[in-house]
Amino acid sequence: MTRSEHFKELLQSISFRELTLSIDLLVSVYISYFYVNSLMNASTQQLSSVSWLSGLLLQVLIYSVILIVLSYLLLTFISDNELNQPPDVREKQINLVGYKYKAIILQAGICVAIFQYQIEANNWGPAIEYNIPYLPMHIMVGAFLIAEIVNYIAQLYKGRTGDIYE
Amino acid sequence: MSEYAITNSIRTLRFLRDEMTQKQLADAIGVTRQTVMAIEANKYSPTLEVAFKISLVFNLPLEEVFQYKTKDI
Repeated sequence: MTRSEHFKELLQSISFRELTLSIDLLVSVYISYFYVNSLMNASTQQLSSVSWLSGLLLQVLIYSVILIVLSYLLLTFISDNELNQPPDVREKQINLVGYKYKAIILQAGICVAIFQYQIEANNWGPAIEYNIPYLPMHIMVGAFLIAEIVNYIAQLYKGRTGDIYE
Repeated sequence: MSEYAITNSIRTLRFLRDEMTQKQLADAIGVTRQTVMAIEANKYSPTLEVAFKISLVFNLPLEEVFQYKTKDI
């Protein structure tokens, strides 16, 4: 089988749900890139400014909503009313596997953020070295974005391999 | 050492039933085509309800569609 035939077979085997998950994954990756890129290119004054930070978070929120709405509008046009169909039992099980990983990462992120806050509040060593204002909040936002990405990747992987029992 | 596994004859039964497609079977039992693919490949064990629906589509008893066999490791 040639490479193009393999690709054609792959496209035919992709379900509408996988397409939706892939678009959600792309949106999450782009939003994460936007967030990290904004932080990397920000000056020290911007990083310590509450108004700049709240503006960045608002931008992240607005971009997420716009991209998700646009992608779902696109999917509605190309789908044969598949968006309204409820997931079957297997798909619900795959969702649960994705949510499990998401919950673990979110919990870990919150624990690390609380720990970092304690370090900063008590003036322990590492906090002085990092010198990044509002680091606990960045950790929580980062954990949220990573959790979303891992959730979509886990669902896509489990859906494709069929290996949903853990 | 031997372990039990659920296998099925869905692919053969589809073929014998006027070469029914996976999509047609999926629509008949109310699941997605990907779920039928996973069941046929023995990667997913269907719920009891879905198993009964499949046997109803082929008008056969459950044990003729699904088998619980030992697999040698």
